[in-house]
Amino acid sequence: MNEIGLSQVLFVSCALFFIGIYGFLTRRNMITMLMSVELILNSVNINFIAFNKYLFAHKLDGLFFTLFIITIAAAEASVAIAIIINLYRNYHTIDVEEVDTMKF
Amino acid sequence: MNFDAFILMKSEMSLTLIIFFLLILKVWDGIKDNTALLHVVNFLLLINLITGFFGNTDGSLFSGMFHTNNTIYLEKNILKLGMFIISLQSFDWLKNHKHLLEFYILMLCTLLGMDFMISSNNFLMFFLGLELSSIPLAALANFDLEKRKSSESALKMILSSAFASAIMLFGISILYGVTGTLDFTEMAPLLTTSQLSILAFLFVFAGFAFKLSSVPFHLWTADVYEGAPVSVTSYLSVISKGSIVFIFITILFQLFKSYDTIWVNVLNISLLLSITIGNLFAMRQENIKRFLAFSSIAQMGYILLALTNGTQTGESAAIFFLLVYTFSNLGAFGVVALLSAETGKETISDMKGFYVNNKFASWVMAICLFSLAGIPPTAGFFAKMFLVTAGAEKGNYTVISIAVLNMVVSLYYYLRIIKAIFIDKPDTPLAKLNGSMMMKISFVICISGAIIMGFASNLFEYINTITGK
Amino acid sequence: MDFYDILFWILSVMAVGCALGVVLSRNPIHSVIFLILTFFAISGHYLIMNAQFLAIVNIIVYAGAIMVLFLYILMLMNLNADAEPQKGLLVQIAGILSGGTLFLVLLAATKSAHNEEINKVSTNVGLITNLGKLLFTKYVLPFEISSVLFLTAMIGAIVIGKKEPQLKNGEEHIA
Repeated sequence: MNEIGLSQVLFVSCALFFIGIYGFLTRRNMITMLMSVELILNSVNINFIAFNKYLFAHKLDGLFFTLFIITIAAAEASVAIAIIINLYRNYHTIDVEEVDTMKF
Repeated sequence: MNFDAFILMKSEMSLTLIIFFLLILKVWDGIKDNTALLHVVNFLLLINLITGFFGNTDGSLFSGMFHTNNTIYLEKNILKLGMFIISLQSFDWLKNHKHLLEFYILMLCTLLGMDFMISSNNFLMFFLGLELSSIPLAALANFDLEKRKSSESALKMILSSAFASAIMLFGISILYGVTGTLDFTEMAPLLTTSQLSILAFLFVFAGFAFKLSSVPFHLWTADVYEGAPVSVTSYLSVISKGSIVFIFITILFQLFKSYDTIWVNVLNISLLLSITIGNLFAMRQENIKRFLAFSSIAQMGYILLALTNGTQTGESAAIFFLLVYTFSNLGAFGVVALLSAETGKETISDMKGFYVNNKFASWVMAICLFSLAGIPPTAGFFAKMFLVTAGAEKGNYTVISIAVLNMVVSLYYYLRIIKAIFIDKPDTPLAKLNGSMMMKISFVICISGAIIMGFASNLFEYINTITGK
Repeated sequence: MDFYDILFWILSVMAVGCALGVVLSRNPIHSVIFLILTFFAISGHYLIMNAQFLAIVNIIVYAGAIMVLFLYILMLMNLNADAEPQKGLLVQIAGILSGGTLFLVLLAATKSAHNEEINKVSTNVGLITNLGKLLFTKYVLPFEISSVLFLTAMIGAIVIGKKEPQLKNGEEHIA
């Protein structure tokens, strides 16, 4: 455990993935659910960068995938936020419970 | 100057041109009349559909990121055809809608994303196409801006699709770690049966199951279908699902070829659950859109049944089924769209005595439902038969017999709607619905498709020859 | 243990701890702040792994844009109350169990697979020059597609998020 290797980095990313899944399944607040998805995406990003750095340093596929994941997460978040605003505007509720009747 | 890119990417190019044209139209704001705009858009979509049949050459571009062949052209044409029919059917809904051009821009962008996704030969392209085809759809599900259900369905859709793609991405990242490449053709021989890569495969599979809404990842489907505007629902259930099936076939049959013993088992479990649970829940639904949602879950199960075959027989059966499914499901959704646009009602009991004043629409609904149920003279019967025989080639008779038994069960709920339309006599039957000309044209296309496809037996042969290459 | 190793462990503890804070804290505002901290820690990881450009992008896009958007919405909608109802105990246990087993399986799988070749090639592959060159040659198609994606996200967000003016009859809708 002296040397930082791939397994240590993967440990962190797996932990983030687990926390993200847990958050998505247990929280009812839409924004927190969205944040949990962001956590999962970040664990994926760490995976890609670590694999790229430790195993396949001669190519940049992993870095590019990360770059595109970040951009897409931004687009996804903006649309999701717009939908949340629309829900809020029409019904003026601050009670997430009322807005969110998810049956997950 | 090399024109390869323009020829190989012609369907994407034409879509992009239409999107830009509509954007300019929007900014210019010259045509104020929605009806005129709709005619313009429908005309463009018809041209777009026609161009798909000419000048198809195989090839790949951008260092293997984009590739195309005759099967892919066929798949794209099916999607374009569905888009055209849906556009005709949304006429009545959109002619009073403020955001008509935005609706089309977003929808065509999702179609563009699906085209890129089907043509992808690389996980990066696949992922971008997938997201391009699902993020705008969530916005589209919200297009009944003042309806609360619509927003809710959009929210559920974007959360579940984000979650599904996040899970799929985790799998892709592990696959990248195991093989060091994102290219499908380079990755396929490098896949070993180590625990890690099988786990990665399961993650990718789970993501796909989410997008295909096969059980146990189907929970979002019914709510989203119910809340979204009818046109968006039909788009989701036919075109979006269809495109996912197409790329799913590529990924299973080419990339994960070495795992076929694993995924056949996973598919068997998933398809049995989908068919059974889809059927059981479809029986209890009152809302027609919810009903069609569960029926589409069951139909997805039958497609997965053909995929267990693992060869091109399964692939061509699935493609043929999706072609027939496009006609029959869109016909059924068209009647719902007509009902919803004119009266705002969407439940089965509202359809009681529908036949009294709406003879043509009733027959459309009946033929399309028969085709969905797989009753002989319609094309749905032959399509289902091909699916089941493709599945049976593997000799897994328990699965086949349960699936066939479920087909009989499914007759019950399809006939329930037909009974409501034709036999039930309420005191005040629905008034005559004056659908537009466009709606009628779409009905004619749908029923002729749902009937003729069954007799055009050489069509299936044709699909079989091009997938074989 | 050299400097980088210590840094790595500090960042890892920070990332995991803050991520736990995101999902466990009841107040959404705290969740957002924790998430921003997580992103900073992850950016630190990127820096250690020689991906300088991505580290910067991560901070600018995630912490700078997305999270500020989240915060803004939470403040705007006054959602910063602690009143969020939790899902039932059953769901929580299910969440922990499913997440936990997944975590263990993943951990076991990664342990078994990746103790072999780890070549520590220390290159500067993550620098902007290399990324930029490839972005406009090999990755030009994904780049263009992501621009279309942003266009749609923009149009979608504007249509959905825009406040509709209350139009009188006969008045035309503007843009």
